[in-house]
Formats: sequence, structure tokens, C-alpha cells
Amino acid sequence: MKSRFLFPYWCRYLGWALVVLHVPLSIIGRARGMVNIMDGPGSTGLFNGEHLFFICTSLLMVSGLFLVAFAKEKIEDEQIWQLRLDSLRWAIFINYLILIISLVFIEDVGHMLQLNLFVPLLFFVIRFRWVIYRLNRSLSREV
Amino acid sequence: MKNNIRVERAIKNITQADLAEQVGVSRQTINTIESNKYVPSTVLALKIARVFGKPLEDVFMLEDED
Repeated sequence: MKSRFLFPYWCRYLGWALVVLHVPLSIIGRARGMVNIMDGPGSTGLFNGEHLFFICTSLLMVSGLFLVAFAKEKIEDEQIWQLRLDSLRWAIFINYLILIISLVFIEDVGHMLQLNLFVPLLFFVIRFRWVIYRLNRSLSREV
Repeated sequence: MKNNIRVERAIKNITQADLAEQVGVSRQTINTIESNKYVPSTVLALKIARVFGKPLEDVFMLEDED
């Protein structure tokens, strides 16, 4: 089965590395008084301190999660493909559910963007890894 | 849908891993097909039947509720 639009397998590790890397960077940044531009009105302008801080933290995290979510499995067959689509469907479903609820009850649009940035990817990665874990566990029980 | 892949494998004396390798899927997939948890695509079903050298309906068969 041809699986197009997926990154090679090693991208998964690169992705996790980016996600982990974002933690110390954002701790250091916040310790030095940086504010994420999505957290409130900061200074404007491209590539000033806070914009760079934003790139180093939020974008690093998102691109890391993106790579993890869309990297191939070791053997990417039709069952994995089906699990992937199913998890993606759930992620979109949950995302829009949260989005609709927060549209009604929350006025802070900035944080809604942030929510929208992470929820689908995060939920997808967790759900996808969980079903694969369950699949492998059922296998080891039967052999 | 049910299947007798397990029986056919025993006749041919190959493991799940051997079959998986010959049709280009993971061992998990063969395992879930054998235990009727996953319904393979037509292409995969045809490939499996070809490995056993039998027509499709000797390996996969419909059940009453299908």
C-alpha cells in the first residue's frame, strides 16, 4: 500500500527531540522575562526578542508534534492506515467540540488559537499511540 | 466475515511472520485478521489467497450476519 504525504520513520525521533527541546528553552525564556506573544499584548514586529521566543517555543513544539504525528510507522500497512484515519477523525471531532464550546463560553480569542494549535495534534498522537499499544499488547497475549 | 488463514498456515507450515512478510504487512495485521478483529482490503485478501494458492472464497467466507 502506498502511503503518501508521510514523513520517513526517523522524523518521529526528530519530532520528539523538538518537543523535548522546547521545554528548557521556554523555561529559560520565561526566567529571563520573555512573554509568549500569544499570551497577551507584547511588543510587535518581526524577529524581535519576543517573536523569536515564540518561534523557539510554540512553533518548536507544534512542528515537533507535527513530525511525530505524520511520521511513518516501521511497517505502514493498511491497518495502521485505518487506525491513523480513525484517530484523525477523533482528533478533529474533539477539536471542534472544544472549539465550539469555547466559542460560546470564552471571550479570550488568543488562547483559543493556542488551543486550536495543540489539541488536534496532541489528541491525535495520544490516541494513535494508544491504539497501537493496544494492538501490540493483544498480539503478545496470543503468541 | 470469517477466514481459515490459521488452518491454511498450518497446512503450508508457515508462521504469521512469514505470511506477513510475503504479503507486505505487519505481523499484527495478520494476527488481527486471523482473530476476526480486522477485515482486510480486497487487495490484501487476494494477496493472502495467492500465497496459499487457493481461490479467495476458500480462505475468506461471509457469515450470516454480513
